[in-house]
Amino acid sequence: MEIRILHFYPDLMSLYGSYANVSILKRTLEAMGNSVTVERMELGGDADLTHADFVYMGAGTERAQKAALLNFSKLGDAVKAAADAGVTMLFAGNSMELLGKTITDDAGKVYEGLGLAGFASVQNKKRFVEDVYGHTDLYEDAVVGFINRCSVITGVETPLLTSMDMGHGNEGPCGPEGYHCGSVFASQLTGPILVKNPALLKVMVQAVYRHRDQECPEIPVDDYMAQGWAITAEELKARCQK
Amino acid sequence: MRKFLAIVVCKLGRFVGKLVGKGSSMPGKFALKICPDILKRVQLPPHIIAVTGSNGKTSTVEMIATVLRAQGKHVIYNAEGSNQVEGVTTLILTHATLGGKVNADVLLLESDERYAAHSFKYFHPTEFVITNLYRDQLTRNGHPESVFDAILPAIHPDTELILNGDDPLSSCFAIGHKKVKWFGLNHCATDTDAPTGVYHDGTYCPVCRAPMEYDYVHYNHIGAYRCTKCGHARPAPDYAATDLDLKGGKLVLDGQYTVALAFRSIYNVYNILAAYAACRECGVEGAAIADTLSSYILKNGRMQTFTLGQHHGTLLTSKHENSIAYDTNLRYIASTNDDCTVLIIVDAVSRKYFTSETSWLWDIDFDQLNAPHVKRVILSGLYRNDLAERFTFTGVQNWEVIPGIPDAAAAIKAEGSEDLYVVTCFSDRDKLLNLPDVKKEG
Repeated sequence: MEIRILHFYPDLMSLYGSYANVSILKRTLEAMGNSVTVERMELGGDADLTHADFVYMGAGTERAQKAALLNFSKLGDAVKAAADAGVTMLFAGNSMELLGKTITDDAGKVYEGLGLAGFASVQNKKRFVEDVYGHTDLYEDAVVGFINRCSVITGVETPLLTSMDMGHGNEGPCGPEGYHCGSVFASQLTGPILVKNPALLKVMVQAVYRHRDQECPEIPVDDYMAQGWAITAEELKARCQK
Repeated sequence: MRKFLAIVVCKLGRFVGKLVGKGSSMPGKFALKICPDILKRVQLPPHIIAVTGSNGKTSTVEMIATVLRAQGKHVIYNAEGSNQVEGVTTLILTHATLGGKVNADVLLLESDERYAAHSFKYFHPTEFVITNLYRDQLTRNGHPESVFDAILPAIHPDTELILNGDDPLSSCFAIGHKKVKWFGLNHCATDTDAPTGVYHDGTYCPVCRAPMEYDYVHYNHIGAYRCTKCGHARPAPDYAATDLDLKGGKLVLDGQYTVALAFRSIYNVYNILAAYAACRECGVEGAAIADTLSSYILKNGRMQTFTLGQHHGTLLTSKHENSIAYDTNLRYIASTNDDCTVLIIVDAVSRKYFTSETSWLWDIDFDQLNAPHVKRVILSGLYRNDLAERFTFTGVQNWEVIPGIPDAAAAIKAEGSEDLYVVTCFSDRDKLLNLPDVKKEG
C-alpha cells in the first residue's frame, strides 16, 4: 500500500521525542512492504486530510499548544470528516486537549477546542509529572510511559487507559486516562509511546489496515522494543507493589 | 529568640551532619521550622550572586568563587550543591554569627531553577545569573517554559540580571526588567547556519510563536536568532567571547583577555562567559579573571580521566534527562581525531528519585558518533534496550549491546588501546569508576 502520514506541527509540538511515534510507525509499515510518505504540516499551512492514512500530533508546551490550536481548529471540519471516515489518528501529550470542547488555561482564559469529543480541559499551575503503569481494554500488556500534564480533563466517556496503577489520569491519580473513539486515539502520555508500547504500535498499524479494508499481516516488533518494554514494565510493576 | 534558636540548631545540625556524613539540607529545614522567616532576619553580605539555569550552574558557581577568592574576597557558597531553600538556609546560618550577621563579602548561591522563588522569598540577589533554559529533567520540570514561569517570580526589580543573550528563551527574562547585562558568544568558525540536533526549539519565537531566523548557530538552538515578527532577537552582549578556537583551546573575551581552555567544550565556554560577566559586574578586572580561569580545572568531578587496560579513558558526565548535555559531550567526542571507543551507560535514570522514563534518549543527536574515528560504541545498563532502539534510528553502524557494566568494561579492556569516552550521568558513573580495573587519574 501507499500510506500517507500527516505529522502536524513537528517542530512546535515536539516535546521529548514525540516525533519517534511517527518514525517507528513509518518503519514498521515499511517493513510490512508498504510505501510510506510522511508529510510535515507546518503552522499556517494548508492540509489535505482526504487521503490521509494516519494523522499525528505530539506534545508541546502550553503556549505552543495554543498556537497549534489556533491553526488546527481551522481544520476542524476536515478532521471530523476524516475521523468519521475511519482515518487513524493519534494525539499524544497535551495535543489531546485540542480534540475536546474547551481548554481553560491557568489564568482562566477559555479556548474553543475542535469539539471532536465532549471533554473539557482545565489547566493548572501545578504539574503532574509521573511514571505510568496502566491498562487498556485494547490488549493485555500493561501500558508504560510517563505523564507530564498540568490539566484536569472531565467528560471523557471512552478513555484509552481504563485504569492505572501508577500515574495521573484525566481527572486525578490512577484514574482512566486518554481518549479513544473509533480510529481516534489520544493520551497525555509524553514522548515515544508507540516505541515504549509495542502492543499500542500494533493497534495503530491494525487500524491503518482496517481503514484500507486490508487484512493486516503479522506486525514485526524488534527485540529491543520488546525487551525495553518488558524491563520498564517490570520496574514499574515492582514500584507499584512497594 | 526564635532567630537565635534557629541559628544554633542549624549550626549544631551541620556540625553533627558533617560528623555522620549527612547532607546539608536537614539543618536548614529544622531552622526554617523554628523560624520560617529566618532569612529575612539575618544580615547578609553586600554581594549576593545567584546562579540558576538548566545547565552549567555548578561549574559557573565554582568559577565565580575561584575568581573572587583569588581577589581576596571572602566567598561562601553551597559547594555541596544543596541548591533548594533548605540547603541555602543551612549555608547562610552556618556562616552567621549567633546575632545573625553573615561573615562574608559575597554570598554565592547555586539555585535550583524550580525553587528559586522559595529561596528568594525573604531576600533577593544583587546579581542573578541565568545560564540557559533547555529541556531538562522532564520528570521534575515538565518543560523549559514551565521552568521559565517558575523562575520569573524569583526576580526582584532591584536585581541585576546577567543573561545568556544567545538563548532565545532565557533572554525573555529581560522583558520588562530594567537592570540587565548580557553575555554571549560572537560568530565563530565552528558555527552552523541553522539549528542542529534532533529537535528544534528555536524554530518559533518564544514570545509570539512566529518563525525565527538565525544568522548563525553555536549549537542546537543557541546562537544569533531573530523573530520575523515581534523583534525578539539576540542582543548585543555586554560581555562577549569575541574569538574562539576550540581545537586550539583558546578563548578571547572582549577582544583582549585570552583564556586557555582546559576543557575544550562549548559548554565550558559558556560557563566561563557567565562567570566572567558576573565577576566583571563585581568589579574584577578582565585580565585578572582570564588569568584565574586559564587552565582552570573544574573540581566537581564532572570530567574524570582514568585508565582501563591499555585504554586512556575520559568520563564525560552528561545529565540523564538532558539531551543538550549529551549532545555537547557527543560533539566533543566527534571533534576529537584519534580513534576511540564510546561507552554509553543508562542504568539508573536518576540518583535522586525513581523513574523509568527514557523519552529523553530520543532528543539526543547520537548521529554525532557516526564519525570515522569512533570505532566502537557500547550500550550498557538496565535501559540498554531503549538505547539500542534509539540507535537503530541512527546512521551509526558499529554499536553493540553489553548489558552489564562490568562486562562492558571487561570487553573494552580485553582488546585495543584506543581512547575511551564514557558518557553517563552522576547516577551511573561510579558503577564504572569503582570497578577494580579502572584506575582513576588526578
